[in-house]
Amino acid sequence: MEIRDQHPSDEEMLAYADGELPSRRAATVRAHLGACWACRGRIAEIEGGIREFLEAYRTELDGRLPPAAGPRALLKAQLKALPKPGTFGMGPRLAAGLCAAALSIFGALLLSRPARLSGDAVAVPKASLTPGDTLPLTRTGVCQMPGNQLAELVPVSVRQTVLRRYGIENARPDAYEIDYLITPGLGGSGDVRNLWPEPYTNTVWNAHVKDALENRLHDLVCGGTLDLGTAQRELATDWISAYKKYFHTTTPIAR
Amino acid sequence: MAATPPDSAGLDLVLAVRASAAASSGGAEHEPEVLAIFDQLRGPLLRYALAIGLRIPEAEDIVQEVFLALFRHTRLGRPRDNLRGWVFRVAHNLALKHREAARREVQRGAGSPEMPSSEPAHPGPGPEEQLAHSERHARLRAVLRALPEQDRQCLYLRAEGLRYREIAGVLGMSLGAVSLSLTRSLARMRRADGG
Repeated sequence: MEIRDQHPSDEEMLAYADGELPSRRAATVRAHLGACWACRGRIAEIEGGIREFLEAYRTELDGRLPPAAGPRALLKAQLKALPKPGTFGMGPRLAAGLCAAALSIFGALLLSRPARLSGDAVAVPKASLTPGDTLPLTRTGVCQMPGNQLAELVPVSVRQTVLRRYGIENARPDAYEIDYLITPGLGGSGDVRNLWPEPYTNTVWNAHVKDALENRLHDLVCGGTLDLGTAQRELATDWISAYKKYFHTTTPIAR
Repeated sequence: MAATPPDSAGLDLVLAVRASAAASSGGAEHEPEVLAIFDQLRGPLLRYALAIGLRIPEAEDIVQEVFLALFRHTRLGRPRDNLRGWVFRVAHNLALKHREAARREVQRGAGSPEMPSSEPAHPGPGPEEQLAHSERHARLRAVLRALPEQDRQCLYLRAEGLRYREIAGVLGMSLGAVSLSLTRSLARMRRADGG
């Protein structure tokens, strides 16, 4: 029972072309198309429209996609850092991760406009962008870490992501160090939420000063006089205040 | 706003966290799978997020969140018969939530010095804003801009290869509504092209 004379509607033609028609109805439409030049023309028009839209869509967007390598590495690191289900202390950490995620989304939003930050403005990272992020390491793990793991280089792609999150465009390579808020030596992760662009110049509170604080905290943690979580919090909350507190000074000690 | 459930992705995440507390399996074996899906779908997801008006850093953040959620999802042994649809649904919901937050933030006050108040929250850098490569693209752009948002989203999702059923799932529409929406949009583009 063929219905040769009933032209399929546009909707049916599209569904047919998209392979979305039930098989019996598809067979009817196919038979009709075989017999009807007008409908073959219509379906060609529909396909032409799709092609044109798709070309415009892809041309426009594909050129804007950043390379995948950086985001892929970041995802991999984040997956590795996710605590295993059922292990001790997982709940709060996951919850913290979610908070950080929410903060980071919000932070990225703030940054979607070029943020004209002066050098000193980022001596302390923005809590919304860099709340700090840690790997699930214990004190023993941190203190047994070989020295060469302490100074992990930040990959170029991650560096770019961090600068972009802070709205810094076209930075000279030597203008900023991408620094860990919580140092890897104290369990800080390589997640962008634990990274911020620290200016090399024009700031008293620079990376070298922070290094000194990190070494001091590392010594205290591994010497058993300071809890690892506290050390991490000190770095994440306000490292400059922490420096003043642990070095009993209001200005960086010359080295 | 489109009549989509804006919070279901967040809910999924919360559920994932709760349920994962009870799960006993590790999860390392899911990592290659999640990375493989990332390789396959990061481009499509990013394009979709940009098309519906997000900027690149936000879109990248959302994509990261989506795949972290996917990792938890697979680790919990949840349904995996249509992960592509699932991934797009989570991305879509996160994107809408994000846009909504951006809008509220802008409304709340031009207080932040980093936000020039003259600039709108999202100057719509979707294809509809930037296709002016040619006259035909300009016409197409005008038609796209005039389409209801949900019709545009249907088109973008279909352009990313989603089946009608998947689109219906992402946007919370019926199958018939997806089919009609696509037909309507393509007809409008054709008319604009002919006229």
